[in-house]
Amino acid sequence: MSDSRQHVRPEKETSGELSPEFATAPMGLAREPLITGYRGLEWISDEATRFNEGGAPSWWRAGLLVALSLLVLGVVIVAYLVTTGVGVWGVSHPVMWGWATINFVWWIGIGHAGTLISAILFLLRQQWRTAVNRVAEAMTIFAVLCAALFPIIHVGRVWYIWWLLPIPTSNAVWPQFHSPLMWDVFAIGTYLTVSILFWYLGLMPDLALMRDRARRPVSRFFYGLLCLGWTGSQRQWHHYEKAYLIIAGLATALVVSVHSIVALDFAATQLPGWHSTIFPPYFVAGAMFSGFGMVLTLIIPIRSLCGLENLITKRHIDLICKVTLATGSIVAYAFVVEACHAWFGGKPYERFMIWNRVVGPYWWAFFVAVACNFLVPQAFWFRKVRLNLRAVWVLSILINVGMWMERFVIVVGSLHRDFVPSNWSYYRPTWVDVCTFAGSFGLFFTFFLLFLRYLPVVAVSELKSIASACVWGCSSTSDGPDTRR
Amino acid sequence: MKVVPEESLPTGDGMPCSGLGHGLGHVGGVCSSDGQYETPDPVTRREFMRVMSASLLLGGIGLSGCRRPVEKAVPFSRLPEGYLHGVPEYFATSMPFRETAIPLLVKSYEGRPIKIEANVEHPDKPSNGDDEAGRIGTTHHAQAAILSLYDPDRATRFTYKGVAVSREEAMSMLKQTGVKFAGLNGKGLSFLLERSGSPSRARLLRIARERFPEARFFVHEPVDFDVHRKAATLLFGVPVRPVYRLEHARRILSIDCDFLGMEEDAHRMIAGFARGRNPRLPRHTMNRVYMVESLFTLTGANADHRLSIPPSRIVLMTMLLFGELGRQIGWARLGSESAGLESALMGRIAGLPDALRGWATACVEDLVEAGSGAVVLAGHRQPVLVHMLAHTMNVVLGSIDHAVKYIEWPESEESPITELAAELNRGGVDTLVILGGNPVYSAPADLDWARTQRKAGTVIRLGEYEDETFPVCDLHLPRAHFLESWGDGVTGDGTVVPVQPLIAPLFGGLTELEVLARLCGLATTNPYDIVRDTLRGIVTEGDFEARWHKFLRDGYLEDSSSKSAGSVKPDLRRIAEAVRSVNPAPEHSEGRGTYEVVIAPDYRLDDGRHANNGWLQELPDPITKITWDNVIVVGPRTAAQLNLRMPSGAMGDYSVPVVRVDVNGRSIDGPVWVLPGVAENTIGLSLGYGRSAAGRVGNGVGYNAYSVRVSKALFIAGGAAIAKTDRMHSVACTQWQSSSEGRAVVREAAHEEYLAKAKLAKGSIVGGSQAKGALYQNPLDRLAETASYQWGMAIDLSLCVGCGACIVACQSENNVPVVGKAEVLRRREMHWMRVDRYYVESLEAARVVWQPMLCQHCEAAPCESVCPVNATSHNDEGLNVMAYNRCVGTRYCSNNCPFKVRRFNYFDYHRRALSGPGIKGQNSSSIARTDFLRWLTRMGPEARPKSELDMLRLLMNPDVTVRMRGVMEKCTFCVQRIEQAKTAGKTRAVSAGGATVPDGAFQTACQQACPAGAIVFGNIKTPRSRVSEAMADPRAYRVLEHLNLRQRVAYLARITNPNPRMLDKSSAETNTPMLDVIRSDGNHEQPQLR
Repeated sequence: MSDSRQHVRPEKETSGELSPEFATAPMGLAREPLITGYRGLEWISDEATRFNEGGAPSWWRAGLLVALSLLVLGVVIVAYLVTTGVGVWGVSHPVMWGWATINFVWWIGIGHAGTLISAILFLLRQQWRTAVNRVAEAMTIFAVLCAALFPIIHVGRVWYIWWLLPIPTSNAVWPQFHSPLMWDVFAIGTYLTVSILFWYLGLMPDLALMRDRARRPVSRFFYGLLCLGWTGSQRQWHHYEKAYLIIAGLATALVVSVHSIVALDFAATQLPGWHSTIFPPYFVAGAMFSGFGMVLTLIIPIRSLCGLENLITKRHIDLICKVTLATGSIVAYAFVVEACHAWFGGKPYERFMIWNRVVGPYWWAFFVAVACNFLVPQAFWFRKVRLNLRAVWVLSILINVGMWMERFVIVVGSLHRDFVPSNWSYYRPTWVDVCTFAGSFGLFFTFFLLFLRYLPVVAVSELKSIASACVWGCSSTSDGPDTRR
Repeated sequence: MKVVPEESLPTGDGMPCSGLGHGLGHVGGVCSSDGQYETPDPVTRREFMRVMSASLLLGGIGLSGCRRPVEKAVPFSRLPEGYLHGVPEYFATSMPFRETAIPLLVKSYEGRPIKIEANVEHPDKPSNGDDEAGRIGTTHHAQAAILSLYDPDRATRFTYKGVAVSREEAMSMLKQTGVKFAGLNGKGLSFLLERSGSPSRARLLRIARERFPEARFFVHEPVDFDVHRKAATLLFGVPVRPVYRLEHARRILSIDCDFLGMEEDAHRMIAGFARGRNPRLPRHTMNRVYMVESLFTLTGANADHRLSIPPSRIVLMTMLLFGELGRQIGWARLGSESAGLESALMGRIAGLPDALRGWATACVEDLVEAGSGAVVLAGHRQPVLVHMLAHTMNVVLGSIDHAVKYIEWPESEESPITELAAELNRGGVDTLVILGGNPVYSAPADLDWARTQRKAGTVIRLGEYEDETFPVCDLHLPRAHFLESWGDGVTGDGTVVPVQPLIAPLFGGLTELEVLARLCGLATTNPYDIVRDTLRGIVTEGDFEARWHKFLRDGYLEDSSSKSAGSVKPDLRRIAEAVRSVNPAPEHSEGRGTYEVVIAPDYRLDDGRHANNGWLQELPDPITKITWDNVIVVGPRTAAQLNLRMPSGAMGDYSVPVVRVDVNGRSIDGPVWVLPGVAENTIGLSLGYGRSAAGRVGNGVGYNAYSVRVSKALFIAGGAAIAKTDRMHSVACTQWQSSSEGRAVVREAAHEEYLAKAKLAKGSIVGGSQAKGALYQNPLDRLAETASYQWGMAIDLSLCVGCGACIVACQSENNVPVVGKAEVLRRREMHWMRVDRYYVESLEAARVVWQPMLCQHCEAAPCESVCPVNATSHNDEGLNVMAYNRCVGTRYCSNNCPFKVRRFNYFDYHRRALSGPGIKGQNSSSIARTDFLRWLTRMGPEARPKSELDMLRLLMNPDVTVRMRGVMEKCTFCVQRIEQAKTAGKTRAVSAGGATVPDGAFQTACQQACPAGAIVFGNIKTPRSRVSEAMADPRAYRVLEHLNLRQRVAYLARITNPNPRMLDKSSAETNTPMLDVIRSDGNHEQPQLR
């Protein structure tokens, strides 16, 4: 990493007027810069923390109000659920898993993009990650929290959920290690822990920045507390970067493992539509796809609302769109492969399941899923679309809807017509299902809005590390640390 | 069992305190010195324990000792001799059901009856000597009776003009009534009775007739089986009635006789039918059933050949069959008067279409071929003529004393209710005594019974519920449930059986005998003594006490079955007369429509008497699989004419159109159900629903078909019109999927094919199966080698008639809750055992197969590997066991169960109030809201009033955990019974050495209840056990065998027995077996029923 990282506290004198060379960077053959309108390192700090340091804007207050209301609704609904029974949901016989499971898989999928952007792109030295990784990581943590909520509350006796933990001394019984749900406990637990660590580690220099910039003693105290005495010494940077690299390595494995294990929840059963070896890679790809979709959904409004247009540029959006297209294609491929398996496998139950997806009672869910996951990302082939932020935002929401529907198709679409025809039934959610889902959004956005306001939204110190590269990148096409692709 | 002799008890006002309940009440100090009786309403725990302890004492001492009448009841602090805590006791009793009774053995725990079982020692059971002793089971009604016993909605008080009075006042009113009418010679006194075969009641009625010579006796039975006796008596000129022994029948022709379903003695009929149906019988004398009917009944669904014709045609069809018989065997053989009959018949049936003629010819040929092995049955809905023709056919075929015999049966001396109505309208009834029944609800609509009954000066009524008839009664006496009563009855063959109380009347009810005795002013008003006195009259030789005790212990009186009438001779002139008087044209002229209506008792609620029984309300109808509703059934063509669009339950649309049926000048609205198999132009209505005062469970469920039922057309009416209304009605159906989608979950073959091929199903599965191509040895296999037992079950689909007795038996044994209509609409019913119904071939063919489906106890159970907390696991005896306490409710196991036999307790169903919106409401969330509000207000889950919960607790089987909500549950193979049998085996074998449980030493609840004996359970490790033999049968297969689950439940493919000469287009496909693993590729394009 470059030395500029050390300049946690930029010198006052460099702020203000820009040197003309920065203002008029030769565009020509140059790649688009990752930071536009670069005016020096302190300018980056100013830009990045502007939203934290100014007064809270009204949209933020309104948003928080809405999110809090949803959160309160969620709390009330969960209380209702626990006191009354999971029967308040639409889960029935034979569809014993409904929206809760769908939401769980959906949220956990969203929780993928953050670590992917942070860890994998970090290892791959994709510098564009620096502007969006903080948001994505925060999104990950909050999404995983939402995701973890659902398997907990969906059980019949939530007060005994701790029986899933391996605490033999107090339980006298081990959990059943054959069960994929058991693996979920470990996978999600680990993923959440590592994601938080990774996020927090990345935050530390920026927290120190916040501490140093803080005007009020209270803020200074808390930021100081949180940054664990970060001074930005060479020694600290040395350790920091080592740690960051190690955790990035760990997190990369987890990105793959956590959703593979969630996929095993389904693949380890023998239900047609679940029992498929393609599920782990399919789910991981789907998770990245939906995660990037959600990153787009969040980042596009944030960059304008928080005034981060210079740091999170259209180029970032463009790149995210490309990743989304790539992962979306893998998902589409898995769709096709699944159908081919059913076709060539010659298993009548599998064939029926695929056919039932297309023309069965839930055909609409299937078509929404196909349209949103297969057709919608095709628009990202076009640069014009990728650079049209409104369009991207709408498409990203469609991708989120599509991925939710895709999980619906898998969970409900497979369960409602299984082996023995007498069991066949139809699943319908209740208002409680809807409110629980809404409540999880409340949880997510409450945390997310608080994050936006109180923590640096972009990784300031990392941005600074590419700032010089950006300057160079503006003038040259091939040299410099910006080794994109 | 003994009771307190009332004379020995001090009474306050000189009124004898009688009856077990009251005697006990006195012991407990409820009957105060001034004679005031405080009705225990509702029964509190304390009250119950008090009554119970006394009852236990009586029960314990009385039955184990039976030495002397107990004079004093002392607290249950001294253990009665032979009584062991925690060990259930069994008492033989019987369930009176119209004229006959079902012999039962009732399991009692610490003085509370908890489970009803068949009295397998009863002598009247099918046995044709080539198998071990025959067996009988019970019906779903008998199984469910235990719930009615603990029904908190039963009448709990004595009332006079709606105001509660003391028991003594009520008794004194009864006595005064008796005294008053004794003086008047009974003038102005009328009795309205139910049918009953009780010898004691018959004796008391004789006494009553002597005491009140001018009193009149009427009988009202909404669904009356007396026509069997009436027709036989009329035809043969001697008082007889037919008894069918279907085990001796090889060819059965049923003319609208639902002998497997709603006819009398169904449990016995099914047993006989199954015995003759068994393809494993060495002689392969499998029976063949021909059915002529209008509705689609259980019998029709089990028939090999079924002719579905409108009701008006059935009489003609019977004549045609009779004429065909005459033609084939020669009219001359019928006797000298046959010429007149022949000419009369031939004139009537001349115009019948060829299709019917062809059917009749082939059918009769088959019957004639079988000769004495053929039997013809006529259903209770049919007029006397049809019965007479059927009886005559039996005589001609020579089946008398084979498959049918005529036994002496007293003639009914009571007049029908129509005459009582006339009498009431004339003002000739001063006092009307109604013993049982609910005429305001069930009397023909044209009698306007509520108003008519009011014309009596005083109405005294003994009723089990404060029901529709209650408001128009003056003196209302609560009636004791049969499990609380002393009484007697006769089974179908005339064997006298006792009705023994298992418990003191919970609500202080009276029995019919008691009321009659009091009215007659008898010195003996104690029903126990009345029954003893009656038996004294029957048992004329030997030591009475010894025989009495044997009678109670065995549950039947030896050698008391009715005498066979011997050879009978039909009076053909009577038939000819009747034939001439038949109007050949359907009676369409009466009404404005052209449809015909058939009114049938509902399969579950019968005539409405079981309306407040949640188990029966939630028992799916065997054909439609509908719960909590009755529907108006029409055939598909009628539906097309009416342009009825039925919802596809598969798409989550559960509301069906409501139609209006106009018949007999009245109209009724009800949800319509398109049922393939129902005759064209025919509308089926079912009785028993639409109750307004049945109790909290039964009120407002379904439509009331009695409101269009008139005395002239009790079962069949012409001239009906049907029209669609705008309204829709949600129907809670447990199985919308009608076809098996080409999946070989049920397998079936025609008999010829079975004989031709040695193995129908793929491979025999005896002795546990070897996993095919398994990489790793199942560690449980090692355990299985060392264990003494490996439990397994075989279900013979050939024998299963789909009656559903097993469902209720399982519910009773395993404390399975009732979930209510709203939850059934969500498919959350909790039955551990269900009976899946599939239409075979096509819907039009209207052939149905059933498959009892329960936990298959897979050796490689998919549910076990996915449970994260080890709540479900395998034991070394091959049981897939469930630790409810360990379950956290992830429901993962259910998702991975290919049979979906695991049931999840979504709410605390046991704790829900009967009156809550959950039971009948259609909105599940409203129930949940109510639960939540209750929880909020009480800070506890007790949604059910305490009194109700207390009653419910009495019902629960203490051997089985009562599961709370949030827990997955499923069939355990009645593990509690297995363990009890093992314990008993060990106890016995302490000296003998080996402690193995002999085959058949115990039965699972479903097996015990099954009247057909279709379920066999036992140790598959023993090669000679019945279950091993069943699994070795070439028909044995496992469902979804390709999943390699190695289930412990094997099914034996269903074998049908169609007549090869009748393989016309409708039954040609009958022979196409569904034997391959998958016949089609999960073809979704199978015709959808709805």
